[in-house]
Amino acid sequence: MRHSVSLKIGPVGFRIGSDWRVPIAALKDLYRDYPAPDDGIADFNVRLFAARFWRRFIRPSVMIGGDYIIPDAAPLPLEMGLLAAEMGMNLQMALGQRRYLLLHASAVVRDGKALLMSGVSGAGKSTLAALLMARGWRLMGDEFALIDPMSGLVYGFPRLISLKNAAIGLMRSTLPQGRFGPLMKATPKGNIRHLVPDAQAIAAMETPARPALILFPTFGHAPAERAVDEAEAFVRLTQASTNFVGLGQAGFDTLTRLVREVPARAIDYPDTESALRLVEDLWSATA
Amino acid sequence: MTDEPSSEPGEVSRRRALMLGAVGASAVVSIRPALAQTAASVSTCEIPVPDPARAGSYIAADGSLVPAGTPGAFAPPAAPFKGEDVKRAMHGGQLPGTDYESNQAYMQYIRRLQRGTSGFTCFASLQMPRG
Amino acid sequence: MAGPQYLAEPARRIKSVRLGGITALFHRPSARTHLVGSPVPEILDALQETAMDANALLTFLQDRYEVADADPASLAARLAELEAAGLVRVA
Repeated sequence: MRHSVSLKIGPVGFRIGSDWRVPIAALKDLYRDYPAPDDGIADFNVRLFAARFWRRFIRPSVMIGGDYIIPDAAPLPLEMGLLAAEMGMNLQMALGQRRYLLLHASAVVRDGKALLMSGVSGAGKSTLAALLMARGWRLMGDEFALIDPMSGLVYGFPRLISLKNAAIGLMRSTLPQGRFGPLMKATPKGNIRHLVPDAQAIAAMETPARPALILFPTFGHAPAERAVDEAEAFVRLTQASTNFVGLGQAGFDTLTRLVREVPARAIDYPDTESALRLVEDLWSATA
Repeated sequence: MTDEPSSEPGEVSRRRALMLGAVGASAVVSIRPALAQTAASVSTCEIPVPDPARAGSYIAADGSLVPAGTPGAFAPPAAPFKGEDVKRAMHGGQLPGTDYESNQAYMQYIRRLQRGTSGFTCFASLQMPRG
Repeated sequence: MAGPQYLAEPARRIKSVRLGGITALFHRPSARTHLVGSPVPEILDALQETAMDANALLTFLQDRYEVADADPASLAARLAELEAAGLVRVA
């Protein structure tokens, strides 16, 4: 394709090709401190392409292609090309990852130990990860955590942190020195702005950590927390994994080991200050 | 794991208790595979939204959440706060109150945590705008 | 007259892990995971060596355990679940 960039996020290398210059320029800028894939060879390819030749120019709209696709996905306008690239990379991970057990969870590290926060969109795992990064925790990732079947260690996937709606203003004021991408308004997921992970996160992107606490946060309730039993944690995490079934026995062994070795709690929180307090308290008590 | 019945005449039976469970109950929860993306249509794809038991909610016999203290309902797993207690409880592997009924209610609760198909594939397909 | 004879999947085909009071089973031939609670492990244990029909199985379980609710309909429900999951089959 006419324009392309190759980059590595955690242990995964990508090549993103595009019919348009602008999304690639944005990726090159925001991911400028990230390394290239090992030996220049990408694990996954993403293609941002025009469905019809004239769609490059007339109301340009970006189709998301790559090694793994969703066939009937509709295109995005070119102004959201950066979002299309992110969705494309997410899709490769969600559908193609086989080396690690993939969990839909954010991960941060303190003292060499990892905190995993698993939940659906809106639960706050990206925002909480960004806030903990601002407090000095090492960010491993805001969306995906990779569990190594051999060692049980967590590997990070520190893509650009995807902030939505109110979280954008919150992080702009929390991290005035932070590097932010362009504001994309009225996307299918609301307003979105990306935050580049900090130098600590990028430098250590391939360093794994031993998982020490699993949290299932829910936003919008009075502060509360309770223990989550192994069986419940297991079922919730199968719901949060795209490749548990595809990994067969390796998936089963990895996840049963994780829930037996790592304590899990569910936390409800009405605002981020309460959440951070709950997280710090639980970390001191259990990790 | 299983106990042999005592064969000594006059000895009190030391057989372990076992319950078969109600006809409508369930003792097997099978993990469902992720949605095959090519077969996806938005209407058949539910985002799993497990609701954590609110602090103070109990688990009724059918696995639903009820106010604390509801007659016949079971307390959720105990919540020791200190690190060592949590680690001990986890590694001991014993569900607090391994009473048959509370296990059954818990089984129903975890069954209800599975909504639709597993995982992110469904979520991913819903995140993408559909043609 | 004997009913259908049930036989469990051999234990060597199943990986079993305790998760608190519930057991996680990985059935290798189907690569499926099941979470099971009592009386499933006990039924699978009973049906390992010899095929039994529902009545024989009920008697077997009553000999081995104190079965508080020895109702054939309950046992039939458990066997139906296990058959649907592929952990037990009609021999």
